Amino acid sequence: MRGRIAEGLTPPVIIDFASAIGTYLDGGKIVVGNDTRISSGMVSSAVFSALMSCGCTVIDAGVVSAPELHFLVPALNADGGILIGAGHHPAEWNALVPLSRSGAYFNSVQMQELLDVYHGRRFSWQRYDKCGKIDVLPPGLSESYVELVCSQLNIPAISSGNFTVIADFCNGSGAHLASLFAEKFGIHLIPINDTLSGYLPHTPEPRPRSSLQVQSMLKVLKADVGFVFNTDMSRVAVVTDSCETLSEEYTFPLVVEHVLSCRAKEESCVVTNGCSTMTLDKIVEKYNGILSKVKVGQAHIIDRMQEVKAVIAGDGSGSIALGSSVPGFDGFMAMGLILESMALKNCGSAELAARLPRYHIIKRKVQCNSGHAYSLLRRMKGMFPDAVLTENDGFRFDWPDGWAHLRASETEPVIRIILEWNSLDGAEDKVLQITGQLERMVSI
Amino acid sequence: MTAVHNLKVSVSGVRGVVGESLTPSLVAGFAASFGEYVGKGKVVVGRDTRPSGVMFEHAVVAGLISVGCRPVLTGILPTPSIQIAVDELKANGGIAITASHNPADWNALKFIGPSGLFLDHGEAAELLNIYNQPDREYVREADYRLVKRYDNAFQFHRNRIFKHINVDLIRKAAFKVAVDCCNGAGAYYTVQFLEELGCKVVPVFVERDGVFRRKPEPVPENLQVLHEAVKTESCDIGFAQDPDADRLVVMDSRGEPVSEQYTVVLAAEHILSNTPGKVVANIQTTKALELVVKKYSSELFYSRVGEINVSSMMLEKNAIMGGEGSSGGIIWPAVHLCRDSYSGMALMLEMMAARRKSLTEIVASIPEFHSVSAKMNCSAEDALTVLRGLKERYAHLDPCTVDGLRLDWDDAWVLIRPSNTEPVIRVIAEASGQEMAASLVNRFISEIEGLK
Repeated sequence: MRGRIAEGLTPPVIIDFASAIGTYLDGGKIVVGNDTRISSGMVSSAVFSALMSCGCTVIDAGVVSAPELHFLVPALNADGGILIGAGHHPAEWNALVPLSRSGAYFNSVQMQELLDVYHGRRFSWQRYDKCGKIDVLPPGLSESYVELVCSQLNIPAISSGNFTVIADFCNGSGAHLASLFAEKFGIHLIPINDTLSGYLPHTPEPRPRSSLQVQSMLKVLKADVGFVFNTDMSRVAVVTDSCETLSEEYTFPLVVEHVLSCRAKEESCVVTNGCSTMTLDKIVEKYNGILSKVKVGQAHIIDRMQEVKAVIAGDGSGSIALGSSVPGFDGFMAMGLILESMALKNCGSAELAARLPRYHIIKRKVQCNSGHAYSLLRRMKGMFPDAVLTENDGFRFDWPDGWAHLRASETEPVIRIILEWNSLDGAEDKVLQITGQLERMVSI
Repeated sequence: MTAVHNLKVSVSGVRGVVGESLTPSLVAGFAASFGEYVGKGKVVVGRDTRPSGVMFEHAVVAGLISVGCRPVLTGILPTPSIQIAVDELKANGGIAITASHNPADWNALKFIGPSGLFLDHGEAAELLNIYNQPDREYVREADYRLVKRYDNAFQFHRNRIFKHINVDLIRKAAFKVAVDCCNGAGAYYTVQFLEELGCKVVPVFVERDGVFRRKPEPVPENLQVLHEAVKTESCDIGFAQDPDADRLVVMDSRGEPVSEQYTVVLAAEHILSNTPGKVVANIQTTKALELVVKKYSSELFYSRVGEINVSSMMLEKNAIMGGEGSSGGIIWPAVHLCRDSYSGMALMLEMMAARRKSLTEIVASIPEFHSVSAKMNCSAEDALTVLRGLKERYAHLDPCTVDGLRLDWDDAWVLIRPSNTEPVIRVIAEASGQEMAASLVNRFISEIEGLK
C-alpha cells in the first residue's frame, strides 16, 4: 500500500490497512520498522495503534533498513512484519509493506487474502483488556544481521583489498549500519548523506542522475568504487573508479557474474523479472545456469527464489537477494559481493563493468492515469507485427536486435517503457517511436 | 448495548467502549479534526493508566501530525495537570485520553482549549462540525512536525499549588495520610506530592499496571480498602482519587467516608473563611454548600453539570472557587480553572493544620444532609418526555431547569437529570434525613415510569 502523504496516505487509510494486517495475522507478534522519511513517524504511530487494537504484540524496531527487517521477522520468531518507508519513491510518498512469517513480502495469495480483509472492513478489534502492547527490540540483533551478511562473504579477501569506498545513503536507514559494516569488511568507508534525517539530498532512486555527488568525489578521494543506495537499502547503483555511474540495470548482472563464476554449481538457478537486461541472459548462458523470469515486483521474485532455491535473485532496479541470506533485496549484500568480486578478481570496478556484455537500455514513463493505461496498453498490443509478443505483466516485444517492455505501473499513474537494443541509435529510434505513439493516444 | 449506542460524542468529549465503538480510526479522525480546529501548533497529549491508553495515544499522534500539529507527549498524567501543562507550555490545545471515572472497558478523548479549559458547548459544536465535514486539511510531508516528549509536566501543577498554600504550616502538622489512587494516574504522583507536604503516606491501589483494583468511581461504597487503611494505620485523613485524578473524596480519621458531595463544601468552608467571594456549583450539589456560603456572607450560583459549565460560569461571575458536589470536584482558580484533586488535598490539609482540628470535628460543624440517588435506563428521547411532563406537573414549585429539573423545598431537593454520557436518567434527592431522601427518590422513580 503506497501513497502520497495527505492525499492517498492518511491516518484513517493507514489504520484500516494495518488493522487488516493485524486481523489477517490473527493478533500475533508483528515486527514494525521504518525508514527515515519525515512522515514515517506518523505512519508508524497509526500502524502501532491499529495493530494494538487488533491485539497484536508489536515489536518496535524503529529505524531499520529493509534487509534488516527481512532478517528480524524470522529471527524474532514473529508472525509477520510491516515495513514502513518510501524506498526509492520521491519525497511526500510513503508506504506500508506487509511481511510474512519468513520475513519476505507477502506472496500474491497472501496479498489477495489481505486485500479481501481490508476491503471487507471487518477487523478483529479487541476488548480493552486484550489490547496489544509494544515491546522494544532486544539488543544485538542489528549485529546479528551484519554477521549473517558477513558469513556469506569472503571477508578476508575483501579486507585484503584495502578498498576506499564511498557510500551515499540518501539520508536513509542504511546509514546506521555504515560504520559497523565498514569495520567488519575492513574497508575505508566514506559515508555521505548519512544522517537519519529523512531529508532527501537528491532523488532517492539510485540511477545515474542521482549519483552526481558520489561521482564528483570519487576521483578526488581516490576511491575504488562508489555505491548509491535508496532510503531503505533495497536498491543500489554502482559508480566505478572511472567515474562512470553504471545504470542500475547492471548492479544485478555484476553480482550474478561474480556469484556464478565463483560459487555456483552447474544449472544454478537465477531469478529475475521479464524486463531485465539481455546482459543477464548472456551471463547465465555462459555459466550454464537457468534464468527464471517472473512478473515485476519483489514479491514475485523472492517467492520464486524460495520456490526453486535459486542462488540469487534480483532485478533491473538495482536490487539483489542472495538465496542463502535474508528473503528480500539487500543493498549491503550487493555492496559486499561487488567488493568481493573486485578483490578475488583483483580488478578495479571500471574493469569489472567493462567485462560485462553491455547493451543500451532506455527507460521512459508516459503520464497516464491508471484506468486509462490498461485500455491504452491493449491497443498497443498489435502495434509491432514484426516482433514476438509475450504477455506477462504488460507486453514484451522481442526483435532480433533488442526488446521493449510496456506496462502500467502499480505504484504511479504512468506507463513504464523499458527498451534495450544493441546500438544506441537503434534504441533511441525505437523508444521515440513507442513514446510518440503512446503520447498521441493519451492526448486524444 | 449495541456498538452504535455506546459511543458518546458530547461536550465532555468522545467516549466509547474500547474495540466496539471507540476505535483507532475514530480517535485519529477526532485528533486530526481537533488539530485543524486549534491551528497547526503544539498540542499537549496526556493519558491515564488504562491499558488502551498507549494505543489511543498513537492514534492521536498520527491524527495530529497529519494536520501539521506538534504533539507534546506527557505520558501518564492527571487530567488537571494536562490542563495546566497546556496553559504553561503555551500550547494551542490539549487532548486528555481518559474515561475519567468510567469503567475500565471505556476510554475517551477530552479536548482542552488554549487556555487549559475544556472546550465549552459552542467550541465543542464547532469541533464536531469540522469532524463531520468530509475533507480533512491534511498537510504535506514537508510541513510535518516531530513529536516532542515532556516528562516532567506534573511539576507545573505542583508548583502552582505550592505557591498558593501554606506549605510550611502543613509540613509542621506532619499528618499521617492514607491515599487511594485507584491504580490511575495518581499512582505516579500522589504519594510524592503528599510527602513533599510533610505527610507520612499510606498508599493503596498504587500498582502501576493499569488494572483498576476497585471500581473507578470514588464514592464511599467503593472505598472499603481505604477505610481499612485509615483505621488500621490511624491516619488523620484519607483521600480517594479517580483514575485521572480530577475527583476527590475524603475520609475522616475514623475511616468514615465523607460523601463526595462534601468535598466542595469542605473546600468552601476553608477558602471562604479566609476570603469571602462568589461560589459556583453545579445543580447537583448539596444544600450544605448553600448554608456554608451563606454563613460567610457569600453568594452561590448554580450551573449545569459538567466541569466546563462550572468553569465558564466561574469566569463569568469572577468566582473565588467552585465545584461539583456530585462528583467530588473542587475547582480552585488560584491554581487553575479545573477540577483538581491535588488542590483539594492541599486545601483539606491546610484547613486541618490552620484550625488544629480533626476532620471529624470540622465535618461536624457543617449541616448534615443525606442524599440518595438512583439511576434507571432511559433513552434520550424518553428522558425529554419525562422532563417536560414533570415541569408541567410541578410548575408551582418554580423548577430550576439549568440542567435537567431541580425542585427545591426548604429542607430538601430533588434533581431529575438524563446523563450526557450514558443512556440513563438519574434521580438524586437530598434531605435532612435519610428516609425522607429515599422516599423522595422512590416517589419520583414511579412518577418517571408513569411518564415514560
